[in-house]
Amino acid sequence: MNKQLKIILAVTAVSAICGLILGAAYNQTREAIAEAERADFLAGLSEVLPPYDNDPDKDAREIKGTTVYEAKIKGKPSGYAAVFSSGKGYGGHIYVLVGMDAEGKVSGVAVLKHKETPGLGDKISGKDFLGVFKGLSEPGLIAVKKDGGIIDQFSGATMSPRAVADAVSRALEFMRDNFISEEKR
Amino acid sequence: MRLSSLTDGIFKNNAIFKQMLGMCPTLAVTTSASNGVAMGLATTAVLMGSNFAVSLFSGFIPKNARIPCYIVIIACFVTVVDLYMNAYFHALHKALGLFIPLIVVNCIVLGRAEAFASRSPVADSVLDGLGTGIGFTIALTALAVCRELVGAGTVFGYAVAPSFYVPVILAVLPPGAFVFLGFMMAFTRFMSSKIKGGGH
Repeated sequence: MNKQLKIILAVTAVSAICGLILGAAYNQTREAIAEAERADFLAGLSEVLPPYDNDPDKDAREIKGTTVYEAKIKGKPSGYAAVFSSGKGYGGHIYVLVGMDAEGKVSGVAVLKHKETPGLGDKISGKDFLGVFKGLSEPGLIAVKKDGGIIDQFSGATMSPRAVADAVSRALEFMRDNFISEEKR
Repeated sequence: MRLSSLTDGIFKNNAIFKQMLGMCPTLAVTTSASNGVAMGLATTAVLMGSNFAVSLFSGFIPKNARIPCYIVIIACFVTVVDLYMNAYFHALHKALGLFIPLIVVNCIVLGRAEAFASRSPVADSVLDGLGTGIGFTIALTALAVCRELVGAGTVFGYAVAPSFYVPVILAVLPPGAFVFLGFMMAFTRFMSSKIKGGGH
């Protein structure tokens, strides 16, 4: 009995001490982590959005379950951005941040998260590939050439660009439907 | 305190090349040199912390309950490293995030706690953790540099290969990890047999 008690005591004490250490570490790093994640996201936003002078991550609104980040210059909307994902990739979902300017054209695309094959599919996060989307305004044409669109696939990797095109196309359609008035479309 | 506590883990008992421990992170994260270095340093930090704590509490932890206690201690240090890395080396954490929690089940860490720290003085245990960690870091970095060089033509992200070089993508894919580890293993065995004057 005494021996069992000793075991219980030891494991409890070790767990309690570790718990305290973890709590302290969490408290100390919480703000820095939140800041780093925000900086990360802001860097992405400034990459895909047209110039702005507000904090788009604070000027965000929820539309039909999707968060849209609004860029403004002197209070006038200059663009919109939203995160869309596509499951058509080779290695699970690809998360893409898509920006659109006030005319309804794609102003920039950034890949936030993907698990595509290094050396093949992961070229989707390269500037050469993502630059192709800039200025496009027709959601129906944003697809790889194999699917009747205008986006170049890579040799050896069709699925990754297809997934990105899919996400961009749906994001653009969504944002145009919600922010661009009929006569402008 | 003996100096061999430090040096054994680097050469004589190198976790990768001599003991063949910790193969999961070795094979998985060595796709680029910076990943290899970061994983090695993170593991070193955990090794030193867990060896220190295990050695300090070794008189207090009953024999029957030692493994659960060690695992809790190791998991604690891994989570601390994970948190600090996420806070201050965010980009690196994004690349390695998936593998950091797996240090908990890296058998090198539990192995050193069980085989060395639980029966050695605190100072030696910390030195052993440092030595084992350095050995692990060296092995990971060497493997990662080779794989990145062949697979992408870069080292630490800097292009070093001539522009006409076509990267052999296989090197940075999972099978490449096994191939390169095999060659490195053969090389280190060959070198150590040379140093010893032939034969084992």
